[in-house]
Amino acid sequence: MIGLILFVSLLGFSYGRTGLTWPERFVNDAVGTVQEALYRPVGAVSDFFRDLGRLSDVYEENEQLRQTVARYTQDKIRYNMIENENKRLQDELHFTERQKQLYDYRYLIAQVIASSSNPYDKTIKINLGSNDGIKPKMAVTTVDGLVGLVSTVSEFTSTVTPISELDSSSADAISIAATVLGREDQSFGIVDYDKENKVLQMSKIDENDQVVEGDLIVTSGLGNVLPKGLIIGTVISNQVGDFGLTHTATIEPAAKFDHLNEVFVVVTSDVDAP
Amino acid sequence: MRMNRTILITLLLLLVQTSILPWLIPSGWSDRLLPHLPFVMTVFVALLGGRYKAFFFGLGFGLLEDILFYGELLGTYGFSLALIGYLIGLVGERKSHLLSFMLLAIGLGSLIMDSIVYFVYQLFKLTGDSYLFALYWQIVPTMLLHVAIALLLYLPARRKLTKPGSGEEKSAT
Repeated sequence: MIGLILFVSLLGFSYGRTGLTWPERFVNDAVGTVQEALYRPVGAVSDFFRDLGRLSDVYEENEQLRQTVARYTQDKIRYNMIENENKRLQDELHFTERQKQLYDYRYLIAQVIASSSNPYDKTIKINLGSNDGIKPKMAVTTVDGLVGLVSTVSEFTSTVTPISELDSSSADAISIAATVLGREDQSFGIVDYDKENKVLQMSKIDENDQVVEGDLIVTSGLGNVLPKGLIIGTVISNQVGDFGLTHTATIEPAAKFDHLNEVFVVVTSDVDAP
Repeated sequence: MRMNRTILITLLLLLVQTSILPWLIPSGWSDRLLPHLPFVMTVFVALLGGRYKAFFFGLGFGLLEDILFYGELLGTYGFSLALIGYLIGLVGERKSHLLSFMLLAIGLGSLIMDSIVYFVYQLFKLTGDSYLFALYWQIVPTMLLHVAIALLLYLPARRKLTKPGSGEEKSAT
């Protein structure tokens, strides 16, 4: 009975806390080093066998990549021109230092070292911590798209909550402000995860807003939780929402959440807008 | 019961569970099959070493697992593993240690543990799934996997972890 009371109070106490005490940080880091030594070789072997299976697709993929590189070089030239133009205009309009740095992101490469077996709290661990400048609520992405948010940080490791845990019906929901790539100034919606159907949902879309199948959804940067322009997924369908006033779109996540190897932590230079 | 050796092996198994097993489980099943090797070891300790050892064993490893993957709550696994270790130890003291009894203990224990974790998360409104969905989606597949893992581990565990010639060995065979 006393045990039960103790545990309920421990559950209540630990709920909604973001900092870690030193024993927790110590245990995390100590186990983290060994986990890293195990996870990476196994991941490499598993990737190797998967690549063997896909050997026949390599020609096709190579062709596609060559086209992409050609397009990328063109875009790069255009981007440089536009960036210079943008800098000049910012100077002329007297942008403050803070406004200039708003979209200046750094990407830190992190290795995934473990993943949890808790079905309602599927977190992953990465091998970067507060020593590398990681802070809670930083966005984590793969090359495909947004994966999750950093939840707790210790010295050399940190824990990442995937966006598949950001369930709108749960009490700890963090909603992601999102928009459509290419129409950033017209579209807006709130993204959360639908656990039973394993898809993301973008709700509160304006009725006049034409979100159609195949649109690429990115973070909008509004709300100051996530940086701007991280890919979330593509729209599968769009229907009228619960009350008939707004639309709700179903989104296929761009990133997968298991068998992760390398992820990127997005570090924003601005301190008060993480 | 050789406790030092058991604890060491369970630490290794925990590392295997967090860093190697995720790669072995196929992509589509990664949120349905969620094995807990410390849970399997807790049941073994309960059957081979008694309820008090199992209680503290489950408590320790449950809390360790909670701290390592701290998402929202601390202590769900600490609580459920300690409770299951104690209960199975209590029932197991009067029963003969047959393989079938061990499998029954693992199966029931797995159901109880995942249900406790589910209800704790539901109590704090951290999950919106219905119990039937959780049962079908995750609890039953994980239980079957636990039973399979226990079958694999039981004989080596019984041979290596009990002291030869002691009364435990006799009651265990």
